[in-house]
Amino acid sequence: MTFRRVLIANRGEIAIRIARACREADLESIAVYSDADRDAPHTRAADRAVRIGPAPSAQSYLSVDAIIEAARATSAQAVHPGYGFLSENATFASACERAGLVFIGPPASVIERLGSKVAARELMASAGVPVVPGVTATDQSDGGILAAAGQLGFPVLVKASAGGGGKGMRAIRDRESAKELISAARREAVAAFGDGTLYVERLIDKPRHVEVQVFGDTHGNIVHLFERECSIQRRHQKIVEESPSPALTEPVRARMTEAAVAAARAAGYVNAGTIEFLLEGSGDDARFYFLEVNTRLQVEHPVTEALTGLDLVGAQFTVAAGGRLPWTQRDITRRGHAIECRIYAEDPAGGFLPQAGTLLLYREPAGPGVRIDSGVIEGGTVPVHYDPLLAKLTATAQSRDAAIARALAALKRFPILGIRTNVPFLIRLLDHADMRSGHVHTRFIEDHAVELLTARETPVEALAAAAAIGAGSDTQPSARTPTSTVSDPWATIRGWGR
Amino acid sequence: MERRVIITDERGEHGVTVFDDGRVIVDDVAIVARITGPGEVRLGPESSTVTWVAASGDIRWVFLNGSIYELEAHAEGRRRRRAASGHSSLSAPMPATVIRVEVSPGGHVRRGDTLVILEAMKMELPIRADTDGTVTTVSCKPGDLVQPGVALVEIE
Repeated sequence: MTFRRVLIANRGEIAIRIARACREADLESIAVYSDADRDAPHTRAADRAVRIGPAPSAQSYLSVDAIIEAARATSAQAVHPGYGFLSENATFASACERAGLVFIGPPASVIERLGSKVAARELMASAGVPVVPGVTATDQSDGGILAAAGQLGFPVLVKASAGGGGKGMRAIRDRESAKELISAARREAVAAFGDGTLYVERLIDKPRHVEVQVFGDTHGNIVHLFERECSIQRRHQKIVEESPSPALTEPVRARMTEAAVAAARAAGYVNAGTIEFLLEGSGDDARFYFLEVNTRLQVEHPVTEALTGLDLVGAQFTVAAGGRLPWTQRDITRRGHAIECRIYAEDPAGGFLPQAGTLLLYREPAGPGVRIDSGVIEGGTVPVHYDPLLAKLTATAQSRDAAIARALAALKRFPILGIRTNVPFLIRLLDHADMRSGHVHTRFIEDHAVELLTARETPVEALAAAAAIGAGSDTQPSARTPTSTVSDPWATIRGWGR
Repeated sequence: MERRVIITDERGEHGVTVFDDGRVIVDDVAIVARITGPGEVRLGPESSTVTWVAASGDIRWVFLNGSIYELEAHAEGRRRRRAASGHSSLSAPMPATVIRVEVSPGGHVRRGDTLVILEAMKMELPIRADTDGTVTTVSCKPGDLVQPGVALVEIE
């Protein structure tokens, strides 16, 4: 089961994160790229890079055949799928197994069982894990879905039976708006997963989203690495994640982590995974319901790494090679508070539309307790074809207040220009009184949209700065020689190291 | 030596005078601005405020203390792009496929109404009216692959 050479079947920041872990574990890494990513930073982070196809993900990062062929051509012995793309695709995991490749994740049979919302729910209910009432309507017509919704009682949530990530998911509050929302959910489900089957469940209004990181090995050991609160979401896409959750009391944390370990054990879980829960109510009486299992490394895994000081990707390699988990439950402790902000190329003022184009200027902040996981560089392009996540900023400090203050200070020194991003939005979000006091829920952004999106008047400093670099220029300032306002010759190279 | 620049933001135009010694006068307020590195401009007599600036054609992007300003800069006297008033042209923010068109010419729309639904990056993107008015032109139909910057719907 041992392997020396790992193919990273992903792109962007997560491919770079995995390549770094390969180097630390003394493994060879192979990146893959589509035509849109020929010069992308992730291709340089690995020891080698191999082309897998044209820009559309269906023909490149989502193509099982292209990835398996790339692994064969480069004599890779293992495949790390990252998150998204093929990471939760059981067909891909079994194709790897058939091709003699170690799939760095759970066995295909576990992915398949947990990937089906229906099978996962049944499994969890039988393992004694609380679940939200819901059904997959046998009659999948608009009328059938409506009837199922009526039985559960409005509001309900309809979602793609085949996948996650918020695609094909709609909240329906009454019969009047139902038809359009059902059609939209079905269209998105077909587009994203090739399967329009919809699942309907009771909507827990304004719940918190709290998940537990679990890890299993092939020797029957299963541990948890505490929770992450991911309540700050937009259209079911997480934006800010933190740990510990400000909502969990010790008794509830104990019950939830115990339920997560029971869930993982019932599923025969191996490698890194996340058990997602919805949390309703507060204090010791708070109730939680099983939502789904993410059978892969999560986008927000740095929160757990920062909090526990453990290396999740490194442990994934160990477990995939047949080794024992590097830690027992007793070894896993947490210290302080960690909070992650996802930096997206999107336009919050324009309906959060994803943005693509050239990063004219991109400078990452640095300092104690600030971790940046990014997949872009200054002068690089953000292609239209993929997820618009540019970077993740994780701040760690002794307390929640200090972690938020640290994240805010870092975001205020994270200039990204040339493409609209959510950086100013994230600053207003972290600075919001209800965020600072920990009073968050999954509809926080919708409920506070006005305060979070109000544009500020341009200060004279910004006008002066815009005028200072000269008018009518087609070049970005980093390519220009500073003007005569600069007398210090060193000034021309200042800022290079940033 | 000095030069006059007109900086335009969402609210209007600001006349700015830039002197060679680093002084900048904006709307009668004097500020010292120094270029201290690639894309880096420091402000104030002690250069204590740092901003980052990027230029693309007439567009100036400014990052100041976590806020981002998209401005237009023109040398005074040069013809400026006319700010449209009472007329709006909506286009796709990126290459996308048209899924549905919700309006037709002659229809009245309110600011915020959905005009067209696009799909890109596997997500549905609604294009909404940015002003109240009457639809004058609809230049797309379901199934079209549309490019950014090309008008889809015009409102008068």
